[in-house]
Amino acid sequence: MEKYLIMCRSLTHAQRCQRLLEQSGIISSVIKAPAGLTQKGCGYSLVLRRHIKDALRVLRERNLLTGKVYQWDGTQWREEYDLS
Amino acid sequence: MIYLDSAATSFLKPPAVYGAVGRAMLQASSPGRGGYRSAMKAAEIVYRCREVAAELFHMDDPSRVVFCSNATHALNIAIHSLAAPGRRVLISGFEHNAVTRPLLASGAQIRVAGRKMFDEEDLIKDFRTKIDGAELVVCTHVSNVFGFVLPIREIAALCLERGVPFIIDASQSAGLLDIDMPGLGADFIAMPGHKGLMGPQGTGLLLCARTGTPLIQGGAGLDSASPTMPEDLPEHLEAGTLNVPGIAGLLEGLRYVRQRDPATLLAREETLLGELLRGLRPLSAYKLFENRGGGQCGILSLVSDRMDSETLAMRLDQHHIAARAGLHCAPLAHESAGTKTMGTLRLSLSPFLEEEQIERAIEALRKII
Repeated sequence: MEKYLIMCRSLTHAQRCQRLLEQSGIISSVIKAPAGLTQKGCGYSLVLRRHIKDALRVLRERNLLTGKVYQWDGTQWREEYDLS
Repeated sequence: MIYLDSAATSFLKPPAVYGAVGRAMLQASSPGRGGYRSAMKAAEIVYRCREVAAELFHMDDPSRVVFCSNATHALNIAIHSLAAPGRRVLISGFEHNAVTRPLLASGAQIRVAGRKMFDEEDLIKDFRTKIDGAELVVCTHVSNVFGFVLPIREIAALCLERGVPFIIDASQSAGLLDIDMPGLGADFIAMPGHKGLMGPQGTGLLLCARTGTPLIQGGAGLDSASPTMPEDLPEHLEAGTLNVPGIAGLLEGLRYVRQRDPATLLAREETLLGELLRGLRPLSAYKLFENRGGGQCGILSLVSDRMDSETLAMRLDQHHIAARAGLHCAPLAHESAGTKTMGTLRLSLSPFLEEEQIERAIEALRKII
């Protein structure tokens, strides 16, 4: 199954994004960002398994999409999910 | 005990508050410090509390709700962000030490506007006269000594018109009066969690229209490799571990306030204040600080010509009535009212009080004199 990771600016930012997606019927989870994907040490991200394009659209509309988006390739997070 | 000191702390809380504090201590650890379940449970409580607060204060972004230890802490952050040596600051004549002390410490030049008790028109006129040249306005919404409701909307409008940053101290109004953060256009609004919002002691909120300057620096659970605090709210202003049990209790307090509605809670306190005034007016030994034109929020100060205020409070305690006497950490307000030497006895109300308790307090005050 596909899995995507949206990097967030903070825990609160991740929670805000999660709520917004939830209101649009998109289920996601807040997790600590995998080590190595953050620029400044500890960070937070959203993980979701479906509706990635809809999720990105919703977040973009509210100017909440600020970080990179990754896709799980079965062994590692692959930079970077094609946003087009 | 009949508790008449809710202006200090609303000791009487909705029952859900007590349970939430205990549950959080058992189930929720540190938000933003780990990805395991109890950390994420804590994070959910904290974020939910931000959401409910944002809804109550008409804000669309919960990230702009910053947790503090109390209103004093919140005011210190706001003042630290906007005051500086030599900066001209205009304040009302009814400010608490939580405003005046950090302003003095900042080296700002303080000017006072509006010294007449229960006179909104005079206050607006004085602010209008003195606002030219001001670089910051700090004003309380309700006097913590006299319950005087200051015309905060008009002062906010003046600040917007002149482009002057504005900090509001909502310590006595949050939970009772409507506070429309975006509508007021204030830069910061500070409030305790443990008064009208019915949360536990050790909680406070700072509503932020701007990012502000951290008062303390330290761990924020993210951007750990950076030498500076995270740039975004709320983490920018929240160094150190949050008071999760307190915030869990505050969440239940906020839910109660939202469910009951501040206007309903205020109406209840107004009814009780009316009862108190009706019972005390015939007692000529007391001078009551009463706003006969309205605009008095849950607080009644009084002085006696037979006894100083501290003795009066001690005598009330013998009747199992908790009330506070003295200057109430607001010498400026007493200067404005002419009560600085002796202070006042302050009776402050809660929507949880019963009429019968007000009658007993009146009877005790009658017996004492």
